[in-house]
Amino acid sequence: MNKKIPLAILLTATATAALAGPIEEQIRFRQSAYSFAAWNIQKIKAQVVDHPETYNKDTVAAAANAIAAVANSGLGALYGEGTDQGIGWKQTRLKPEFFQKKDEVTKIANTFNEAANELAKVAATGDVNLIKTQFGKVGESCKSCHDLIRIKE
Amino acid sequence: MKVTIHIWDLPHRLFHWLLAVSVIAAYITAKIGGTLIDWHGRLGIFILGLLVFRVIWGFIGSTHSRFSTFFPTFSRISAYLKGQWQGIGHNPVGALSVIALLTAVAVQVGTGLFANDDIAFEGPLFDYIDKDFSDKLTGLHSTTFYVLLGFVVLHIIAIIFYRFVKKTNLVKPMLTGKKEIPRALAETLAHEHTTIGFGAVRFILSIIITSTVVWGVSGGVTQLYPIQNQQQASNESSTASVAPQAPSSF
Repeated sequence: MNKKIPLAILLTATATAALAGPIEEQIRFRQSAYSFAAWNIQKIKAQVVDHPETYNKDTVAAAANAIAAVANSGLGALYGEGTDQGIGWKQTRLKPEFFQKKDEVTKIANTFNEAANELAKVAATGDVNLIKTQFGKVGESCKSCHDLIRIKE
Repeated sequence: MKVTIHIWDLPHRLFHWLLAVSVIAAYITAKIGGTLIDWHGRLGIFILGLLVFRVIWGFIGSTHSRFSTFFPTFSRISAYLKGQWQGIGHNPVGALSVIALLTAVAVQVGTGLFANDDIAFEGPLFDYIDKDFSDKLTGLHSTTFYVLLGFVVLHIIAIIFYRFVKKTNLVKPMLTGKKEIPRALAETLAHEHTTIGFGAVRFILSIIITSTVVWGVSGGVTQLYPIQNQQQASNESSTASVAPQAPSSF
């Protein structure tokens, strides 16, 4: 019996890792996802908030779609057990408490998804004021997750 | 016998209350985030202006605004601890508090200028340092805030203590600029130092220097010394290179 428990744990861990890849890979993929999102966020920020005179409907719509695609890609799969420690492109800043706060995180993740989908929708209309407001809401959802489960440098 | 004297000049009082309001507003906008983070940045620049003004005013303001009047030198502190200190402006411990508060706000402003929120905000000087260093300063910005908060709490406790234990109202002089003191003390102090009043020319000079510094930090430096590195180019130039006007097929 005693020998089977560690074995079961090992098997479960291996199975989880096999689904989402080894720890380092999960961390690397999620870091990549967020930096790709960041590139698109910067474009919207530049064209909608900082320099509205440079606004280009297609660029902003494409950026909003890219953010929504990242949000809808099922990022949760990249947060497997043990991924609070490890180096992807660099050391992860995921707090170990993440695994105790999954309910809260799920709620934030849903808010992020809805906000990002709505942003893609308003970006298609070309209404700069609506885009700006919705862009702020996406930012708020980013922040609520950073505040909850991200280690401050 | 009591006499009423002018203690805090108008710029000094304006500085104090504007600082209090802006710091609270900066805290709220940072907590909410979203589009308000840009207002957090603007408030930070405004607070920078207040600080620069206060430092200049500490040299060319009226008597009790000057650092030389209240700077907590060793001899002043030891006199105060022995109960021998006499004065009407900041006492040596109050002066320590002033310096601590100003320094803590300066640390917030200094780190904030280089900070980023990893979402959609970068401080005006972000482009001059690398991202990792900016992340460090951002972390510091949120940690050292609690130091500032601690000093603010101490400041308020001290005011309450003076109000109810020492029966001295410190808030009213900061609103009206006037303070009632015993005539004897006023006469003693009149011999110690001459009173320097509010000077319009000195005030205008302070405002000019303050505006120049604020302009420089909030964008003037970028205009005078554009960043050469393509990758770290500011938003204006990167919009063209990073975000093409229309997405091409690639």
